Amino acid sequence: MITLLRFIIFVIPISLISFLYFFINDNDYYPGADFKVSDMPAFELNSLYENSVVNNFDLEGSYLINVWASWCITCRIEHGFLVQLNSQNIPIIGLNYKDERNDAIEWLGKYKDPYRIIIHDYSGSLALDLGVTGAPETFLIKNGKIIAHFSGEVNKRVWGDVFAPVIKKEKVVWNDQI
Amino acid sequence: MLIQIAHFLAILSTGLFLTTFVFSFLFTKKDRNITRLISRIYSHGFLMLTSSFFIYIWLALNDNFSVLYIAQHSNSQLPSFYKITSIWSAHEGSMYLWIVFLCLWGFLYSSYSPNDNILKARTIGVISLIAVGFLSFLLLTSNPFETILPIAPMDGADINPVLQDPALAIHPPMLYLGYVGFVIAFANAISFLINGDKSIKWEESIRIWSISAWVFLTVGIALGSWWAYYELGWGGYWFWDPVENVALMPWLAATAFIHSLSVSSKSQLLRIWTILLSIIVFSLSLFGAFIVRSGIIDSVHSFANDPERGLYLLSFTGLLVFSSLILFSYRLPLLTSKKLITPFSKESFISINNIIFGTLIFSTMLGILYPLIYEYLYLKKISVGAPYYNAIFVPATILACIFLFFSIDSKWQRTYRIINAYTSMFFSGIFSLAITISVMLYCVISDLWILVSLFTGLLIIIRYLFVIFEFLINKKYSNPYSIAAHIGLGLLIISISLNSQFSSERAINIKINGDDIYKDYRIKFDNLELIKMSNHDSVMASFIIDSPSGKTFVLNPEKRKYFTRGQITTETAIHATLLKDIYVTLGDQLDDGSWIVNIQFNYFIRWIWISALLMAISGSFLAFSLRGTSR
Repeated sequence: MITLLRFIIFVIPISLISFLYFFINDNDYYPGADFKVSDMPAFELNSLYENSVVNNFDLEGSYLINVWASWCITCRIEHGFLVQLNSQNIPIIGLNYKDERNDAIEWLGKYKDPYRIIIHDYSGSLALDLGVTGAPETFLIKNGKIIAHFSGEVNKRVWGDVFAPVIKKEKVVWNDQI
Repeated sequence: MLIQIAHFLAILSTGLFLTTFVFSFLFTKKDRNITRLISRIYSHGFLMLTSSFFIYIWLALNDNFSVLYIAQHSNSQLPSFYKITSIWSAHEGSMYLWIVFLCLWGFLYSSYSPNDNILKARTIGVISLIAVGFLSFLLLTSNPFETILPIAPMDGADINPVLQDPALAIHPPMLYLGYVGFVIAFANAISFLINGDKSIKWEESIRIWSISAWVFLTVGIALGSWWAYYELGWGGYWFWDPVENVALMPWLAATAFIHSLSVSSKSQLLRIWTILLSIIVFSLSLFGAFIVRSGIIDSVHSFANDPERGLYLLSFTGLLVFSSLILFSYRLPLLTSKKLITPFSKESFISINNIIFGTLIFSTMLGILYPLIYEYLYLKKISVGAPYYNAIFVPATILACIFLFFSIDSKWQRTYRIINAYTSMFFSGIFSLAITISVMLYCVISDLWILVSLFTGLLIIIRYLFVIFEFLINKKYSNPYSIAAHIGLGLLIISISLNSQFSSERAINIKINGDDIYKDYRIKFDNLELIKMSNHDSVMASFIIDSPSGKTFVLNPEKRKYFTRGQITTETAIHATLLKDIYVTLGDQLDDGSWIVNIQFNYFIRWIWISALLMAISGSFLAFSLRGTSR
C-alpha cells in the first residue's frame, strides 16, 4: 500500500514537470515568437512624412516590419537596437500604429529614425490584418510571406534567439533597395 | 534616489530571509529564545520588504516614470486609486505583491504563534526559503525597479482599460492572499515531517490560517468571475480558461484539505491525506504562478515575458515539490496508523470525497496540459473546452454531493446508523423529488443532467434545513458554519443548472429608431451618442426595453476607444433582477447603418455569486470562531 502510494505521488509530478521542462526547452518554443508562415496582407496606406501612398508593390524581397507608436514606452527601449540594425543595412519598415501624425514625427525627431519607410496606420487596419495585439511587434517578411513574428521588445537576445536562426535557415537576403 | 532605496530594501530583506532560513535549520535545539530570535529576524526582513513596497506605491502615486514598470503601466491622468492598482496589472508588480503577501502571512504567523511551539522555528524557516526563492526570481529575472535613465518619459503608457475597474483592482490581491495563505499549512507540514515526532498535534493550530486562506481564494475566484461577466462582454461566468482552471485546482485541493484537516485535528485520522493535501494545495498554487507567468498557455491573463522566467519558476517549484514529496515518502511509515477508518463514519465520507476531489483536480490538470502535449507531439493547436469539463465535473460533483448527503448526521469514528436520520433523509428526498418534478413539468426541462443536478442541490439544502429544524426544536447541536457553507454549495449547484437551462441569447441587427422583439420583450433602439471623455471616446447606444409585465427601462451599452493604447472595449449594459439579468452588448456597425446588438437573458446568475459569497462568509465566521486556537 505504502509502495503504491509512493509510486503514485512521484510518478505524476515527475512526468508533469519533466514534460513542462522539455516543452520550455524545445527549440521552437519561445514566448512571443510565432513562426507560422502566412501571406503578407494587401494594403494601401499613407506614409508618415509626405502624403504619398505605400502599398504591397513598393515592398519586395526581404525586410522587417516594426509596429511602433509614440505612446508606446517599450518602443522607446527597443528603439536603440533598431537603429543598430538599420546601420547594419537591414531594411526596417515602420508601421506607425494608432498614433497622431505629429506626435510620431516629433518622436522620430527627438530620437533617431531607423526606418526606411514609415506607414501611417491610424485606424490600425493593416495591423489588424497582420494580427497585431499591441506595440511593439516585429515581422520578418520574405518575398511576400511572413516567416517570423515576434510580440514584444526586440533586443540583442531576441534577435539571436528568434530572428537569426530563421534568417539563416531561410537564407534571407535583405532587400537593400527599399 | 527613492527607487534605489526601495530596490536596496528588497535586496536586504532577501538577505534577512536567507539568514532566517539558515538559522532555523542550523540551530537544532528549539527552545523559546532561539524561536524568538528567528521570529525577530524574519519580522525585520518583512519590515524591509513592506517598506520597499510602500515606497513603490509612493513612486506610482507620484508618477515617477523613470521607473520602467510604472512608465509602462501607469499614466498621470489616472485616478490615484488606479495608480496604485496599476502596480499589479502586469507581471513584475503582481509578482512583487504576491511575495509581499506571502511574507505577510508568515509575519502574522510569527507574531501569533507562541514561541514554545516546537514547529514554529522551522515553519518560519520554510516560509523564508520560499520567500528567498521568489525574491531572487523577482530581482534577477523580473526586476520592478528597473529604470529608464537618463531621461524619464513625460507620461506613462496607461493601464490596460479593461483593468480599470474596481472588481479587478481587488481581484488579484484577494486571489494572491488565498494562493499564498496556504504557505502556513505547507510550511507547518514540512516542519512536522522534518521533526518526525508524531505525537505533535499541529493540525488544530493551522485550521484558522487555512480556512482564512480558503475564504480569500473563494472571494478572489468569485470576483474574477463577476468581472469577466460584466467587463469582457461574453456573458458567461466561467469559461474554463486555463488561468481560471489554475485557480480552481488549488481551490478544490484546499476544500478537500480543510475538510481533511478538521478530521485530523480532532482524531489524528487521515493524517496522510492532510499532509499530502497541504503539499498539493501549495504546489498547485505555485504551478498556477508558473502557468500564468511562463507564457506557455495563451489566455486572457498571460503576461508577455522571456523564457528564463518559466524555467526559473519551473525549477524552483519542482525543487520544492520534490523535496517535500521525498520527505513525505520518507516519513510515510510514521504516519500510517494501525487504526482503520470505521466504515460509515464521518471521516470515511470525507476520505471518499477527497478521492473525488483528487479526480477533479487531476482531470482539470489534464484539460490544461492536453493541448500542450498535443501541440508538442503533433505541432497542431487544439483547445479543450466546456464539454470536456462538464462531462467530468457534473457527475463527479453529484456523486460528491450524495456522499455529503449521507455524511450529515454521521458520527466521528463511529459507524452511523441510518435509522437515526431516516425520517429527515426520507423527507428531504421526497421534497426534492417533488420540487424537481414540478419544475420539470412547469418549465418543460428534458435534460436529464440538469434535473439530476437540480435534485442534488435541493437534496442538500432541504437536508440541512432539517438539521436547522432539529436544532431549533430539540437543541441538537450542529456546526452552524458548516450548515451555511453547504447550503451555499447546494444553492450554487441549483443556480448553475438553472442558469444553463434557461439562459439564452440572440444577436439582432437593428437600426436607430428601429425595434425588435425577443422573448416578448420589445427592444427599441432609441438613440446613439458620441461622447468625448478625458481618456477615451465612446459611442453610447440607448435602448428602451418594454417587458411583458409592462415595465420599461433603458439600457446604455457602449463601445469605447482609449487614446493611449488605441484599445477598443465593449461596455455591457445590464438590467439585473434577482431572477435574471438582461444583458446587452453593442457589436459592430454594418454597412447599411444598422448595428449588431447582442441580447442575453442570463437566469439565476446573481445566485451563483451569492452562493459563493455565502460559502466565503460562513468560512470567515468559522475562522473568526477559531481565533485563539492558533496558540
